[in-house]
This record gives sequence, C-alpha cells and structure tokens, in this order.
Amino acid sequence: MTSHLQLSDITKTYGHFTALDNVSLSVDKGEFVTFLGPSGSGKTTTLMIIAGFEKASGGSVKVGGQSISQLAPHERNIGIVFQNYALFPHKTAVENVYFPLQMRGVGRAQGLRQAEDMLSLVGLKGFGHRHPKELSGGQQQRVALARALVFEPSLLLLDEPLGALDKNLREQMQIEIKRIQRSLGVTTIFVTHDQSEAMSMSDRIVVFEKGRIEQAAAPLDIYHRPQTSFVAAFIGESNLIPATITNAAARTAENPTLGGLDYSGTEVLSNGQKVTLLVRPEHIKLSRNPIEGRRNVRMTVETIVNYGDNALVIGRAGDLPMRVRVLGADVVIIKEGEECCVSWMRDSVFVITR
Amino acid sequence: MNTFMRWTGFIVVLFIAAPLVIVVPMSFSNASSLQFPPPGYWLGYYRAYFTDMDWLVPTWNSILIATATTVLTMLLVVPATFALVRHKFRGKGIADVMMLMPLAVPHIVMAVGYYSYFGDLGLVHSHFGVILAHTCLSVPIAFLVLSANLKGFDRNLERAAQSLGAGPAKTFIHITLPILRPGLIISSLFAFIQSFDETVVAIFISGRDAETLPRKMFDSIRQEADPVIAVISTLLFFIVLIGIAAPYFASALRSRAPKPSRPAGAH
Repeated sequence: MTSHLQLSDITKTYGHFTALDNVSLSVDKGEFVTFLGPSGSGKTTTLMIIAGFEKASGGSVKVGGQSISQLAPHERNIGIVFQNYALFPHKTAVENVYFPLQMRGVGRAQGLRQAEDMLSLVGLKGFGHRHPKELSGGQQQRVALARALVFEPSLLLLDEPLGALDKNLREQMQIEIKRIQRSLGVTTIFVTHDQSEAMSMSDRIVVFEKGRIEQAAAPLDIYHRPQTSFVAAFIGESNLIPATITNAAARTAENPTLGGLDYSGTEVLSNGQKVTLLVRPEHIKLSRNPIEGRRNVRMTVETIVNYGDNALVIGRAGDLPMRVRVLGADVVIIKEGEECCVSWMRDSVFVITR
Repeated sequence: MNTFMRWTGFIVVLFIAAPLVIVVPMSFSNASSLQFPPPGYWLGYYRAYFTDMDWLVPTWNSILIATATTVLTMLLVVPATFALVRHKFRGKGIADVMMLMPLAVPHIVMAVGYYSYFGDLGLVHSHFGVILAHTCLSVPIAFLVLSANLKGFDRNLERAAQSLGAGPAKTFIHITLPILRPGLIISSLFAFIQSFDETVVAIFISGRDAETLPRKMFDSIRQEADPVIAVISTLLFFIVLIGIAAPYFASALRSRAPKPSRPAGAH
C-alpha cells in the first residue's frame, strides 16, 4: 500500500525557537492516526502545517503523491474540525454543511439535499433547520463533523474535538467518530493530549515531544513496547527502574536499590550498558510474604487510592517509588504504612535503551 | 431602602422624561413663540415645517451630509479597524492614538481649526467641507464600536471557511461580513447620528449654502424661538423611538411564530 499522506522533514522555527524538528511520517489511505503529546509538543503545529494555516520553515507535505506545500488552505480539500467547532453562527446546521458544497459550485437544491443526507449519517436527521446556538455541544460537534466530511475531503483533521465535552458524551462521540470514519474510509489525523482517547480510537499513535516524533506505532505497541522513557511515562502508568546490564546473555540487570533483576526482549545489549526497565503497575503482584521462585522486592505502602473495582497502591522500595495496581477485592490484605512484597514475571519487564 | 431606591428611580426617570413631556405638547401649541404650558392647541406649526423651504432645505442638507459622512466614515474605518485589530506593524500605537484623537479634542477647538484651514482651501460654506469635518468626528466613534466587535470575532470561523474551500474574498463576503453585520450597522448608525447631531462645527463652517438642521434650530432659537423647533424635536424623538423599538417588535413577532416540533432520538 502506498502512503496517502507523506510528511518529509517538516521543520518549523519561530526566531530561535524550534517548534518542529525534522518531522517525517507517512500515513496510509483510510488510516486513523492520532497525534498525542503534551501541550507545546508540536502536534497542533504539525496539523496546522498540513491544513495550510502555518507555513513550514522546511520540508514538504504530500497528499496522494502530490506536494501541497504551495497550496492555500482553500485549495487543499482537507476537512477540519476545530476544538470549538467553529460553526457559522448566522447559518443553520444544514446551511453550515452545505457551505463547502456551495463553494464548489453545487446548486442549492441538490447541495442542501446532500447536506441533509450527511446530517443523517452523523445522527442529526431533522435538526438541519436549527442554528448552532440551538444545539447542544455534542450536536454541534456532529454538525462540524458533517461539514468537514460532506465534500469528500482527501484528509480529515480533528483538532482536540472532544476537549469541550463532558466525560460520558466524550466516550459516546469517540465511538461515533470511529464509526463514521470507518464507514467513509477517510484518512484521519486526530490531535489530542488524552492518552485513553488515543488508545481507544487509533490505528496508530504518533507521540510528539519537544517538536519531534518520539514514537509512531500501534496503540498496544506503544503501551507494551515504548521506545523511550518519555513514551513509557506519558502513556499509562509506569514504574521506571534505572538499571545496568550485568549479563546480557542471561538477560539480567542490576539496580543499586533493588539488586538483580531479570528482563525480557530480543534487543541486543552489552554488559555494563545503562538502561531503564519498565514494569506496568498492573503486572506487579502484591503479597504479604515473598512468593517462591520469583525475585521479591520489599515495599513500604504509603498511599492506597481506591477506585472500587481496582486500587492503586503507591509505595516505596528503598528510595525507588513504586506503583502497583491490584484488584479491588485484593486490597484488603494491606494497609497504609505496612510493609509487603512485590514481585513480577520476567516477561513483564521491558527494556528501554533511550 | 427599597422604597428609597424606588423613589430615586422615579425621580431620575422624571428628570430624563421632563424635556419630552414639555416639548411634545409645545409642538401642538398655537402660541407665537416657545411657551409652556401652551395657551391652545393646533397643527399649524407642523404645516409650517413641512411647507417652509427655510426648514426643509436644512433638513435635506443634514440628511445628505449625515449619509455621505456615514459612507465615507465606514470606507475609512472598516479597513483601518481590520489593520489595527488584526495586524502588528511599526507605528501601530501612534495610529491607534490618532484614530481616537478627535474624541479628546473639544469640538470648539476643532471648529476654529477647520474654519481657518478650510477657509484657505475654499471648503467653508460647502457640503463637502462639512462632510469632511463630520467624518473626522465620526471616525473614532465608529472605530470604537467596530473594533470591539472585531476583537470578539473567532478567527477559527475564517479558518474553517478556508478549509471548506472559500478563498479570502469569499470568506470575507460569506462569513466575516455577515457575522460582523450588527457591529457594522451600529457603528454606521453612530456615525450618522454624530453628524446629524453635530452643531458646533456646523455653525462655524456650514454657512448658508450647507446649513444643517441643528444650525438652523440654533439660529432660530436665538432670534425668534419659533415653535417649529418643538415640532422638529418631537418628530426626531418619535423617529428615534421607532428606530429603537422596531428590533424588539420584530423579535417579539418572530418568537410568536410556531416552531417546528422537536424530533426525538438524535443527540
């Protein structure tokens, strides 16, 4: 499959500040890609460069093999949904959706019919005559989506579109957007700083940090095989243990506090190399007494945060902070201030070299 | 306290309304000069106003000058507001201050300035001279109203329009202009009223050829206190009243119209 969207060495500088540093990425046709990162990481700047509202200092943007770097925003045929929806307040919902068709010379009768069809697809059949201010946040969101899709854009860009919605509506819209995106097969770039949103919606997640791409991979790869400590810390909860490889052949390492540790993976490492070991909190077993046949670490419990179905136990093993996620029913075995044992399987330990 | 506040409110309203209470009956008076209470009532001064060229010509002059002033003001203010609100450039601070300067300078000072300056240019006693002077006074008012509107304008609306295929010109016509329409209407209204109302500069430079209504009224009240002044005041008052009330009535009528029933199901 050839790539549909191709970013090559995109650079953006503001005076001495480098907002984007050689960002390259290729996106397949129909793919749903999420740009994830903290604010100021460059994800929105990249989106604005694709849309044409920002000019890159260097590099090129290609869609379907054609460079669009020199095109004005209105010549790019890219649909965008903004965080505040940016619906035209003086037009009704259906007129909003008709607008891109009007700009493309589609007649009013046919265009309005097409716009109504699109509104039905996003679940707003019969709401066309309303003005944006007569619609709820979720409905406005759907109108904005319909408007960005009705002209069959080559690319759909979503700039934190769920940020303004409450939690329940947000989850509902996540499913909706995925359904609509799949049914139309439109290549989509979704910008968010919410990692659970990125996890649940994307075919691929691109993690941005300080103007660079840290990692671009499928959600589960990002979660289980992060390539950098930043990605490991940013996505999900993590225990990051600094360690030195003691025997690369036997896959053992050592941390000054915890002592010897086993790790998994196939990466070629050398003895004496400094690495970071990642253990996710849900992979750690908490027990009162040491478990036979495993390396056990003694941990002092500091705080227990109860969520009902599960609980987060925060403690300290020597000078090393530890987070352990346990099932709600198991939390009764331990109290704050007590000492316990934590242990994990070798397969749960992932090595990060960067 | 409550009673006290209510009485205060009542007295304030009385003070504001008192001139109207006096002017309206006086316009129907049959006295030969302004007098309250009127000795008797007739419509003679209304007939006098609508038939006397000494009154109709200044009225026409005022309408003409105010309309031209409004057009000229908006032609200058719309581009200036966009430039000053949306762009950063060298000397922007000075340009901002210059725009608002006519508000700070007393009208009498401006009037004296125009009198000698326009005299040299041969613009005294001409419509064009008055239009230029009035435009100068209207620009800061129109600018203040419009810039407040433009500052609150969400630029993502323009970005959205562009992403949907509208070039800069179409974006301006289909999106920016309609959304700014209330602001444009109000700022042109203020420009018009400013010119229609303006007396000091008009007295200095309008002369007999371009005599405006306020100037004519001022001359009249000084010389003969012609009750036609009360007629004009009453007419202007009711025109303004209708102008203010019309939008309320329009919206009241609209909200009485039956709304289509609410479809269920969708979010």
